[in-house]
Amino acid sequence: MKKIDLHIHTVQSISDRNFIFHLESLKEYVNKLEIDCIAITNHNLFDKTQFEQICQALNIKIFPGIEIDLEGGHLLLISENENLDDFAQKCQKVQKLIPTKDDSISYEQLTEVFLNLKDYLLIPHYDKKPNIKPETLKKLGNNIFAGEVTSLRKFKTCIKEADKLTPVIFSDCRFVENMTSYPTKQTFIDVEENTLNAIKGCLYDKAKVFLSKDDGNDFFQATDDGIILSTGLNVIVGGRSSGKTYTLDKICQNFDNVKYLRQFSLLQNDKENFKKLVTTRHSLITENYLKEFKDVVLDVNDIDLKSNEVSLEKYLSSLKKYATESDSLDTFSKCKLYNETKFTLDSLNNIKKLISSTETLIEANEYKTIVNKHISDEILKSLIVDLIEKHNELYQTNLKKEWTNSLIETIKENLRFRSTTTSIEEVDFLQIQLEKIKVQKFRNLVKKVQTEKIIDSKEIRGFKVLAKTKKYTGASQLKNKSKSKLSFSEAFNNYDNPYEFLISLQNIGIEETEYYKYFVAIDYRTLNKHGYEVSGGERSEFNLLHEISDALKHDLLLIDEPESSFDNIFLKNEVNELIKQISTEIPVIVVTHNSTIGASINPNHLVFTQKLVDSGNVEYKVFFGHPTSKTLKSVDGKIIKNLEVLLNCLEAGAEAYNQRNTVSYEILKD
Amino acid sequence: MKYLKIEDNKAFFRKDKTQPENWNEIDKIEKEDLMKLLDFATEDDFEMDVYDEDVLANKAHQIIYKSIYEKLNIFLTNKDRFKDQTENVYKEALEKYQ
Repeated sequence: MKKIDLHIHTVQSISDRNFIFHLESLKEYVNKLEIDCIAITNHNLFDKTQFEQICQALNIKIFPGIEIDLEGGHLLLISENENLDDFAQKCQKVQKLIPTKDDSISYEQLTEVFLNLKDYLLIPHYDKKPNIKPETLKKLGNNIFAGEVTSLRKFKTCIKEADKLTPVIFSDCRFVENMTSYPTKQTFIDVEENTLNAIKGCLYDKAKVFLSKDDGNDFFQATDDGIILSTGLNVIVGGRSSGKTYTLDKICQNFDNVKYLRQFSLLQNDKENFKKLVTTRHSLITENYLKEFKDVVLDVNDIDLKSNEVSLEKYLSSLKKYATESDSLDTFSKCKLYNETKFTLDSLNNIKKLISSTETLIEANEYKTIVNKHISDEILKSLIVDLIEKHNELYQTNLKKEWTNSLIETIKENLRFRSTTTSIEEVDFLQIQLEKIKVQKFRNLVKKVQTEKIIDSKEIRGFKVLAKTKKYTGASQLKNKSKSKLSFSEAFNNYDNPYEFLISLQNIGIEETEYYKYFVAIDYRTLNKHGYEVSGGERSEFNLLHEISDALKHDLLLIDEPESSFDNIFLKNEVNELIKQISTEIPVIVVTHNSTIGASINPNHLVFTQKLVDSGNVEYKVFFGHPTSKTLKSVDGKIIKNLEVLLNCLEAGAEAYNQRNTVSYEILKD
Repeated sequence: MKYLKIEDNKAFFRKDKTQPENWNEIDKIEKEDLMKLLDFATEDDFEMDVYDEDVLANKAHQIIYKSIYEKLNIFLTNKDRFKDQTENVYKEALEKYQ
């Protein structure tokens, strides 16, 4: 069995953040993690001199490689450690083809540079961003049999599903000075030799690829100091200050996309804060519900009824004035074009819609027989021809009108420049009337939006979250909504007149894309199983259940002492079952002192942390093993009795446990 | 119903449809009246006398009537399209928040 990491960065490329490679760190990583072979895969480049230095410094097999930007995704291309000059030359060509971080090469360019792809090991970003696109994978064909993934969950899914590539997990790490911990993302393969061909042979077969050295895919290395955990449910026990939280923090650091529920973080004593939290969690529901309303508010926001009124007024007064001057018109104002109105252009939207609908009818294959039962293709074709002809005619007329309008405008301007007579102001009746109707409809719409109703209801393990719309009842609520010190009192006076309210919002200094939020409040209420508003304790319980359920969006769940906020009945009835369910999907690690969780949950793996103080020196030890085995083992092979660990950590020691059972509880029995 | 008419060489407009006999001279028209006429033109069967210089001798009335007549005429010519357009205004939103 060999442990491999074929994705390592040692040179800062144009695609990287700043880093300075430190050879000693790479050396320590390889030794500490006991890695058998690595590949150096920098972005679109290969540094032969540095590669040779690394080979000299490390006593393991090292492959030269390159991570190529290929058609928008990333591909690892790894060569055997021979003929380095040729490989370096080819990589130089790639480097030239990709001058900026946004460039990539095509499949054709890749084959042009590397000629026979079969000579290399190709590993695409598979379930990892930026992944190689399916069409590129198709072009790469049989040259691809393994793909890089980012999480244990994705790895196990690829192993299970027959049509997926063989998964591999690599560190993708940049080795710099003073690293506090090293990544534990490597893959084990069942291979004897360290040659590229042998590794390729192995990667053809999913049965030869593993997450752990001895325990297949049910275990993985969680920290660089050798802690092995189950991909199912793990319980960490240990005395106070024995390093439990430290271990969790380290695991959290080592993996991406982790859900970490820290100790006491779920306590919810404050009702208002809880309400805010629930509202934030459900902000997507609010946003989706008000999406259409938001668009309307933005549209109405552009309407200025006052200015429409002013333009009507200007039109009328100029018209009347012109009429009184009709007896004294000069040569310029006597011209017909002096007060000529412009042509209104025909909107082509409706006819375009008709053409497109007829097109749909003609092209539809799915319901062809039904369509043709009522209307033949011939008629449809003749209809579309007529419609297109009409469209073209209108289009042509519009062009003529536009041309004439522009000419009228120029002549009018010239005449008015020379004349002393009043000219009649332009006004667009259609536009004015349309905007007036829009505002009427807006008023009606706001009334509907503000009507109290339940817009969403969600059940979460006995709890119910209800979202209800309601009107704001005071300016202070609007102020709270804005999370600012702005004053809403004047605006709120207009709250019952939607258009006027919108206009007053314009003067407050909030973003116009936020205006819609001030028309209606969405109130979230969390009810317990009896239908009543949740109490303080229930708020925390609901919070825990919600957070745990949410964990499935992550790749790892860490929980630090859930018992510190909850009672045993709740832990046993609700939490244990939920945690068990989740651990079938992603690895779960629970730190606890509590026997309800520690013992009753039946974990897949038990970890015991211990702090030893020996003549002033502090040493932290970690033992682990199957919960039912008699002993637990440390990384350096030391053994400890499991029963002793459990009684000490979960029951306050054997004596207290026996006393509770034989004295305290027995006395109380009938 | 008729809202603009020419009679005795003068032009008149109707202010209020509930008072059919109450006609006003066109040179007295205000912006509020014009807005009302637009509402009538949108909602009702709107009729008006065709502009004709020969039957409307008053010069000032000629100018005002001609301009308003032409503008309302454009509005009425596009009424079908306008109705389609206004019927669809915020339709989706109004249906969603029913």
